Amino acid sequence: MASTSTANASNGNDDTISQPVVFMTETQYPLPSQKFMIPTSWRRYQLSQLINKALSLEKPVPFDFLVRGELLHTTLSEWCKENGVGEEETLEIEYIESVMPPQKMSDFPHEDWVSAISCQVPGYFLTASYDGQIRAFDYSKYLCASVTAHAAPITSLCVLLPEESTNVMDTTTDSTNTSYTIATASQDLTAQLTQLTLGTPPSLSTSKVLATLHLHTSTVSSVSADASSKHLLTASWDGLIGLWDTFVPSEDEVPEPTLNERDRKKRRKLDSENDKQRPRKKAPLKVLKSHTGRVSKAIFAPTPLERTTNTKSGKAYSCGFDSTVRVWDLDHGVCEHTIVKAFLNMTVIPQTPTSILALSTDRTMSLYDVRSPTSTFGSLSSSAVATFVHPATPSCVVASEVNAHQLVSGAYDGVVRVWDVRSTKGAISSFKSWEGKKKIMSMDWKKGVVGVGGEGGLEVWRVGEERA
Amino acid sequence: MANGLGRKSVKRKQVDEEHETFEQDLGPNGTLEMLSDEENEGDVSSDDGQLDEFPEIVNESDSDESDEEEEEDGEEEDGGDEEYESDGAESDDSLHVFPKSKTVISDITKQPKVVYPEIEPEYDSDSSTEDAPNRVGNVPMHWYDDLPHIGYSIDGQKILRPARGDELDKFLATVDDSSAWTSAFDKNAQADKPLTAEELDIIRRLYAGENPDADYDPYEPTTEWFTGKGKEEVMPLSGALQPKRRWVPSKWEKQKVMKIVRAIRQGRILPSKPKSTSKFEPYAIWSERPSDYPPPLPAPKPRLPTNAESYNPPEEYLPTEEERKTWEAQDPEDRERDFLPEKYSSLRLVPAYDQFVKERFNRQLDLYLAPRVQRVKLNIDPESLIPKLPSPSSLKPFPNYKSLQLHHPDSRVRCISVSPDGSWVVSGDEDGNVSLWEIIVGREIKRWKFKGKIGALAWCPRTDISYFAVGIEDTIQFIIPPHIDNSVLSLTQNVLAPSTLPPAPASPSPVKWTTPPSNAWSLDTPILTIDLPASSGTPTHFCWHRKGDYLSSVCTGGVHGGVWIHQMTRRHSQAPFKKIKGSVQTVLFHPLKPHFFVATQQYVRIYNLSEQKLIKTLIPGIKWISSMDIHPSGDHLIVGGYDRKLCWFDLELSEKPYKVLRYHSRAIRSLQFHPTYPLFASSSDDGSIQIFHSRVYNDLLTDPLIVPLKILRGHHVVDGLGVLQIRWCNKHPWLVSASADSSVAVWCS
Repeated sequence: MASTSTANASNGNDDTISQPVVFMTETQYPLPSQKFMIPTSWRRYQLSQLINKALSLEKPVPFDFLVRGELLHTTLSEWCKENGVGEEETLEIEYIESVMPPQKMSDFPHEDWVSAISCQVPGYFLTASYDGQIRAFDYSKYLCASVTAHAAPITSLCVLLPEESTNVMDTTTDSTNTSYTIATASQDLTAQLTQLTLGTPPSLSTSKVLATLHLHTSTVSSVSADASSKHLLTASWDGLIGLWDTFVPSEDEVPEPTLNERDRKKRRKLDSENDKQRPRKKAPLKVLKSHTGRVSKAIFAPTPLERTTNTKSGKAYSCGFDSTVRVWDLDHGVCEHTIVKAFLNMTVIPQTPTSILALSTDRTMSLYDVRSPTSTFGSLSSSAVATFVHPATPSCVVASEVNAHQLVSGAYDGVVRVWDVRSTKGAISSFKSWEGKKKIMSMDWKKGVVGVGGEGGLEVWRVGEERA
Repeated sequence: MANGLGRKSVKRKQVDEEHETFEQDLGPNGTLEMLSDEENEGDVSSDDGQLDEFPEIVNESDSDESDEEEEEDGEEEDGGDEEYESDGAESDDSLHVFPKSKTVISDITKQPKVVYPEIEPEYDSDSSTEDAPNRVGNVPMHWYDDLPHIGYSIDGQKILRPARGDELDKFLATVDDSSAWTSAFDKNAQADKPLTAEELDIIRRLYAGENPDADYDPYEPTTEWFTGKGKEEVMPLSGALQPKRRWVPSKWEKQKVMKIVRAIRQGRILPSKPKSTSKFEPYAIWSERPSDYPPPLPAPKPRLPTNAESYNPPEEYLPTEEERKTWEAQDPEDRERDFLPEKYSSLRLVPAYDQFVKERFNRQLDLYLAPRVQRVKLNIDPESLIPKLPSPSSLKPFPNYKSLQLHHPDSRVRCISVSPDGSWVVSGDEDGNVSLWEIIVGREIKRWKFKGKIGALAWCPRTDISYFAVGIEDTIQFIIPPHIDNSVLSLTQNVLAPSTLPPAPASPSPVKWTTPPSNAWSLDTPILTIDLPASSGTPTHFCWHRKGDYLSSVCTGGVHGGVWIHQMTRRHSQAPFKKIKGSVQTVLFHPLKPHFFVATQQYVRIYNLSEQKLIKTLIPGIKWISSMDIHPSGDHLIVGGYDRKLCWFDLELSEKPYKVLRYHSRAIRSLQFHPTYPLFASSSDDGSIQIFHSRVYNDLLTDPLIVPLKILRGHHVVDGLGVLQIRWCNKHPWLVSASADSSVAVWCS
């Protein structure tokens, strides 16, 4: 209460109306749980000052305040008036560290649309583009490598981390060059594993196609790896989800199509290639069939740390245009749950592996908890835990790796929005890439850097991630 | 008439005289009849009314006799007079209280008149002076039996009982007096009184058994009231038979009626002649008021002046300086009153009212605008007139926002088509560009360039193969999209360019099917080209049959109405119509039956292709049909026209539209039913797309429910052209629209 009195004293006694408030937080700056009498004319700034003073932090930390799932933008009294809260009611205000206003760091123009981006490789941005090329940029905006991986537009890209994938061969780790295995999915019906070696002089960068993944009969819409980079999931428009390992076989696992005359052309093309350099054709470990429409995304459920030693993570999530989100048991390859809504893209909050964020064409991003109806097998209740409404079609969403509450979503109106899952009514902050004129296709968020890929190429923004 | 009138007066006189006679006959017998004498005189002079009825029954034949009768009456009258006089002489005058009247002939007028005798002022003429000493009245006299007196005189003096002798005295008195035996005891006077001669006469008559009344004459002469000469009954009291004419229909009446009937038949008389004449007859419109209206409202009255209006108002009514300023600052219509009170010491100092004319004019305006008729307001809740439609939010999903838009290089995008799996869209513009793009990302994957403008695009509805048809000048090209599975690709190639061509049809067709050699196949060139006959123009409309084997195309020009049906498996084209009336706008295959819909400018004709005959002609009432589509159930058809109308037909009901929707402000360009969702959309030159919910019920009783859901705006109108074509995505409630502003947009739910 001493802090309150000092705060009151600093504020002056000109306004006497005050509101009982209990502060709570999940940040590393907890206040003792007691009731504060806060003048209702205070805004975020005063509240933030109060907490800083109460905790006597050396370096001032700005805070944002959530009142009943809503970010406090106005004075307390105005908020109370809007929501019809009386003076005597005790408000529970949760405070979070403020997100610094995002700053644009750099801009990487592309010739074609960027369909996928990855910031997983330290020091580089990897982009996959509609012209079928994988590009690697270092932080100095220098194009280190440009690999033509597919003849058709690449739809998805994921990087298999080298330290995890020790048993993936050809991952050479010498002093100068680092090799990464990149999985790409394309509209030419295949996914592909490409080894990309980034040399310190960029001219030394080389690439080699390791294997092509043959299962799908339609556009492969996404590819994703699990945390150990040992397994891949591909999703395709033919409604199938393929489960693959990252082992590159020495022989083709898929037999050459027993041929009719029609494929002579293709065969001739294949034969013309160097047989040794020819990428091996891989067959899937398992095919997950349950979707009735196009599958837009399939991802592994993040495993808790103690389970990383297991070969399989066990669970996977997928969403598709048949208006469902499905939860898969990878051990048995069966669909466990279904949530009904039309979905474009999805992600999982890494800290809470049962929370799914799914984007829909009805301009909403919905947060689902797949655990909730575990008792009943089959269709999950389609009631979302939280719904985040966008003004345009959202296309991609990334959850923060360090903060369980923060996520960014990109939409077709070119606006990237930073959300807090506790504040559903509005984004914490937002910024426009390419002046909000071009579509955002994909994003990645790593260490406070958001890579935004889309119609206008690649943009890199700094978005603060607070530690949870 | 003069004769009749004279006769009447004569008769009246005669009757009067008769009456008079009768009175005079009765006169001497009853005193009460005397009053009627005066009446009698009145009758003579004035009383006409009673007798006016009589001439009606006068018989003409009687006229001669009446004169004779008159004379006779005159004689009788004389006789009567004499009789009267004789009676008068015989009767005792003292018995009559009232004087007797006499009828004499006046010397002056020569008319009979009644003369009364002069009243003599004698003592006995007044009955009040009669000697009646005892005034006790009519009381029982035995009350006085024990008293010395027998009553009281008029002065109140006791009248003493006269002395009465005993029986002996009485006897002696009778001996002495000869009149004693004719006297009787008078109780009133308590003495004997001699009876009068009349009393004695009455006694005598009683003794004799006669009528005690001396005046009664049992042998009076007969008075002939209804009999005798001249007094025969004229009333129909006879027992004679009814004359025949009483009961036989009148011949003359019949003749008169027939005359009228004949006149009517010949048309000389119009029985129901129209009353109104051609000439306008002026009439007073205000003379009659309509009865069923309430009386008109009285005109509003001007307010009565108050103190403030006075020329010399009390001080408290005068405005202060601030009030005056605020009054002047206000607008005239905001002022509380339209004047400022001012004070003048006398009336002659008051200036003329400068706004008099204006005020009068305003008052006239008030009167003019005042409602003079009380109108009965229809008390209808406007909400109840709105049809009960479900709210659009309950009918989700439907497209409600523009998800993405992509632009063609500067030219109108005429046509679009969505692949049957709902993931790809092809769009063609007027520059000959056909681009293929993902429906959800909007990224163009491939572009083909043709010469001439693209008139129509249609994706083959088969899901096991994948290709689409492009309509360019005089040709139809078939293109396989890139990045399809090998099996699908080979199957498609097999369909479009089979290694063994089917046998050529017997009759050579003017339509040529050409396939380039297989080594020249590439993704950029069509795998199959259909060359339509020369000068058939650009195909503007394609329609695939549901099974994907037949493609029907409509061209702008050419013979056979420009309609061709191409069969893919047989590589054969045929023109279904030898000749067709009007220019064909669009055609349609029925989704279930072998029916073919052909829309010309104003009519939609339904043909049965297997039986080769016309089934039905629908009349939408549209001046120029632009587009049509059939419901997936096959029972409902929507037709849009360039005159902004959209007609919904129930094919089982009528050839007239079930509903006509006029929601677009410009010409309707395109419309389509959603294949799976209960939706349809229409696009128009006003740049908008309208989404409707259209629920069709399986039972035949319920009408289809059509609910307007959403107007999608976002396309610009360029050169008066708006959204040129719309297509639904098969599996989602998504809509793709092609517009004249060289853009294609995807609308998502």
